[in-house]
Amino acid sequence: MTEPRDPRRVPRPARRGGQPQNRTGRPPAARRPAQRPGAPRPAARRPGPARPGSGPQALRLGSPRPRLRLVSLGLTLIMLVFVVRLFQVQAVDAGAFAARANENRYVPVKLAAERGDLTDRNGVALATSVDAYDITADPSLLAPAKTKIPDAPQRAAALLAPILHVDKAALTEKLDRPGSRYELLARQQAPQVWKRIKDLRKTLDARAAAAPKSAPRPDVLVGIFADKHSKRVYPNKDLASGVLGFVNSLGKGGGGLEARLDKQLAGKDGKLVYAQSGGRRVPTAATQEHPAVPGADMELTLDRDIQWAAQQAITEQVAKSGADRGYVVVQDTRTGEILALANAPAFDPNDIAGAAPEALGNAALSDAFEPGSTSKLMSMAAVLEEGVATPSTRVTVPNRLHRGDRLFADDVDHETWHLTLNGVLAKSSNIGTILAAGQLGRTQPEANRVLYSYLRKFGIGRPTGLDFPGETDGILAQPQAWNTSQQYTIPFGQGLSLNAVQAASVYSTIANGGERIAPTLVRGSTGPDGRFAPAPKPARTRVVSQKTARTLATMLESVVDDEEGTGAKAKIDGYRVGGKTGTSNRVDPKTGRYHGYTASFAGFAPADKPRITVYCAVQNPTKGSYFGGQVCGPIYQQVMAFALKTLQVPPTGAKPPRLPVTFRPGQ
Amino acid sequence: MRGQGRPRGAPKRLSALFPATPAAPGTAARTPFVLLIVVLLGSGLITLLLLNSALNQGSFELSRLEKKTDELTDEQQALQQEVDGYSAPGALERRARRLGMVPGGAPAFLLPDGTVRGKPGVAGADGAPLSSSAEPSAAALLRATTAGGPAAPRVPATPPVVPPSVAPPVPAGSGTLGPQSTPAAGAAPGHPAPAPAASPVSAPARVPASTARSSGSAPAPAPTTPGR
Repeated sequence: MTEPRDPRRVPRPARRGGQPQNRTGRPPAARRPAQRPGAPRPAARRPGPARPGSGPQALRLGSPRPRLRLVSLGLTLIMLVFVVRLFQVQAVDAGAFAARANENRYVPVKLAAERGDLTDRNGVALATSVDAYDITADPSLLAPAKTKIPDAPQRAAALLAPILHVDKAALTEKLDRPGSRYELLARQQAPQVWKRIKDLRKTLDARAAAAPKSAPRPDVLVGIFADKHSKRVYPNKDLASGVLGFVNSLGKGGGGLEARLDKQLAGKDGKLVYAQSGGRRVPTAATQEHPAVPGADMELTLDRDIQWAAQQAITEQVAKSGADRGYVVVQDTRTGEILALANAPAFDPNDIAGAAPEALGNAALSDAFEPGSTSKLMSMAAVLEEGVATPSTRVTVPNRLHRGDRLFADDVDHETWHLTLNGVLAKSSNIGTILAAGQLGRTQPEANRVLYSYLRKFGIGRPTGLDFPGETDGILAQPQAWNTSQQYTIPFGQGLSLNAVQAASVYSTIANGGERIAPTLVRGSTGPDGRFAPAPKPARTRVVSQKTARTLATMLESVVDDEEGTGAKAKIDGYRVGGKTGTSNRVDPKTGRYHGYTASFAGFAPADKPRITVYCAVQNPTKGSYFGGQVCGPIYQQVMAFALKTLQVPPTGAKPPRLPVTFRPGQ
Repeated sequence: MRGQGRPRGAPKRLSALFPATPAAPGTAARTPFVLLIVVLLGSGLITLLLLNSALNQGSFELSRLEKKTDELTDEQQALQQEVDGYSAPGALERRARRLGMVPGGAPAFLLPDGTVRGKPGVAGADGAPLSSSAEPSAAALLRATTAGGPAAPRVPATPPVVPPSVAPPVPAGSGTLGPQSTPAAGAAPGHPAPAPAASPVSAPARVPASTARSSGSAPAPAPTTPGR
C-alpha cells in the first residue's frame, strides 16, 4: 500500500494485462500510474487523507452533516427505546408495577382483638386476658468481641435470673451463643417484669455513659428484648376448670367453653396499613386503619362460691375414697341454669402443660356411666303417671325374684319385705322396682316401650342441650333391642348409661313440677357496645304431670327423712330435703366389664318448694364404703346447705307428710 | 407596572420604585400595601409554623398519654390479679380458718310476722352440724378427718406461754358434735381465754369421731346385686 504513494517513483508506462485500474472512476489525472510490474494487484483505492496531488492546499474535512445525522439518529433511537420502555412501565404494565411497589411500600400490621372475659353469674371474672411479654434476647450483641466484656453473658444472666425466676446456669447457656440472633428466655411474663428489666437497663446505661471514653463498656442488657402479646388468666386457678376449658398457645379456645364460645370471645382482629421506607413509617403518607373489635364478655350461669363448695367437697371425697373421679352438678330447678359443675380431679388451666391428661376435659359431661338406683325415680314417675300404682300401693318384696335368665336380689339379704311403693323407693328395693315397672304394660315388651318413652322424655340418650365439646349422649337402646336381662335391670338403673348433667336434669324435672328445662351454662353476653344480650330461653317440655311430680317429691323425702331410708346422711336440719341414693356396678372403661362401683346421690331442696338440685357421683371408690348414701350423701348435704345459704332460700316451715314405708299384711 | 408603561433605563426604574418626592397620587400609597403584604405573608408563615408545632405537640402528648395508659392498664391488671388472688374462695377460706373461723350451719330466717324458720346449731370446732341425727354430723366428720389444717394454725394464735398439755382434757365432744356438747369449743374462736382449751379438744375429738365412723356406721354386707 505504501508503494504507490511514493511520488518519486518513475512512472512506468508499461502495464501488464491491462488491469482495470479505473474502477473507482477517477479522473485520469488523479490516477497514479505507480504500479510496479512486480507488485501485486493494488488494493482498491480509497480517498486517502493525504493525497499527493493536493499537498499544499487546505485539509479537506469530511462533511459534519452526516455525522450529526448519525449521532442524532442514534440519540433518537435511544430516546425511542426509553420512550417505549417508559410507555410500557407507565401505561401498559402500570398496574402490575404499582402493585409490586405497594407490596414493598405498605406494611400491614395486625391489631389483635382483645378476648372477652368469662364471668360467673355475679360478674366475677373466671377467665380474663392480660398483657404479657415474652422476654427474648439477641445473644450476638453480647458476644465478648462486641461488648469488650469477656463475661457479658454471665453478668447478664446474673442480673436476669432473679427477675425472671429462671435458673442462672440455663440463662447463661442461652445467652452465651455468639452465633445466635434469637433466644427465648422466658414466656408470658407480667408487664412488671419487663418494666424491672427496662429500669435496670436504664441505670446500667447511665453507668455506661458515665464510664471513661477510653474504655467504653456497654450495657450488658443491651441484647434483651420483649414481645408483647395477650395472656389468658384464670384467677381462681382450678375452679370450674372443666367448664371453662383452656386456651391453646395460638390464643384459640382449646377446650370447654373457651372452645365452644370461641367465636364470640375471640372478637375480630383489626388491621393497620401504613407506608414505610427503609423500615420507618412515612408520616405524611395515608394510613389505613381498621380497628379491632374486642370479643364479647360471656356471663355463665355458674356461681363461683357454690362452684367452690362443690369442687372442694368432691375433691376431698374422691381423695378420701381413693376413687377415680367424681362429679357434682348443682342446678337451679326453676330456670335450668347450672350453678356449679365440679369435677375431681380438676386441672389448672393456667398451666396446661403441667396438667394430668386424664384430668383435662369435663368428665361430668363426657363420662357415660350406669346411674343405678337414682334412676328408679324415672320408673316410679312412669308408674305413677300411668296410674298403675300410688305411693301407698302394697308391694310384697320376696328375698329373690326370678326374671328372665337371672335371679335378682336386693342389696341387703332380707326376709320378705312388705313395702309400700313409697317404701320401695325409700329402701331402694330392686325387686320392688322390677315388680312395679312390670305393671306399666300388659306384656313385658309393652311395659318396656312405655318405660322407654318416659326415659327419653327425661332426656336420657339424647344431647343435654349444652352443646358442650366432648359431651356424651349416654346410651339407651331401643326397647325392642333390650335383651332379656336388660328389660328388668333398666327400671333400677343398670343397662343404660348417662352423664352427670342428664342425671341432675331428671331430678330438676321432678323438682320443677314435671316440666323439663334444658340445662344451660351461658346466661348471656355483653358485646363491645356494653349491652347485655341474654341467651335464648332453654326448651321446656312436660314429662309428667304436676301432681305426679309433687307425689314423687314427697316420696323422695322419705328416702332421706325416714329411719328406714337409705339417705339419712343427706339430712339438713330445718329443711325438707328430698333425694335418692345410688350404688351401681361400674363398667370399667379399660376392660368393658363390670368392675367396682359408682356411688351417687341426687336430690333437691326444699322438697315442698324446690329451688336447687344437687347431683353427686363418685366413680370407683376403693377405700371405705362404696354406698351412695355414705359416699355422696355427706357431699350432697354439704353442697346443698351451702347453696341454700348462698341463694338465701328459707325453709318452708311445713311439716313433712311422712308417707308410710311398710304395711302390715292382712290389714 | 401600573399600566402606564415600563420606565426605560436603570435610573428611571429606580426612581420609579423609590420616588424621591411624592409623585402622582396613584403611586403614593405603595409602601403600606407592601408592608401589608409582608405582614400577611410573615404572619401566615408564623401561623403555619405554630400550627405545625402545635400538631407535633399534640402527637407528643398523644404518645405520652398512650404510654401512660399502657402503664396504668398494666398496673390495674396487676392489682386486679392481686385482688382476685385474695378474693378467690379457696384463699378466703384458708385465711378465715387461720383466724379461727368455722363454716356456719344452716341459718335461721326471721319472717316479718316474727316466726323463726330453720334450726341453727351451735358451731363446734369444725363447723356447725348440718343435722343433729344419731350419727355424728357428716359434714363436721368430713372436715375433721380430711382437713388437718384448721386446728393447726389456730395453735400459734394462742399465747405461746400456755402449753397445750396443761389444758384439761375435755371428753365432752368425743362421740357426737351435738349442740349440747359443744358450747365450750363453740365459743373458742370468739374469746381468747378458752382458746387454749379449744385446740386440744379438737384433736382428741377427731380420733373417736373417725373410729366411730368405721365401727358404728358399719355398712351392710356387700351386696350381690347393686342397689341402694
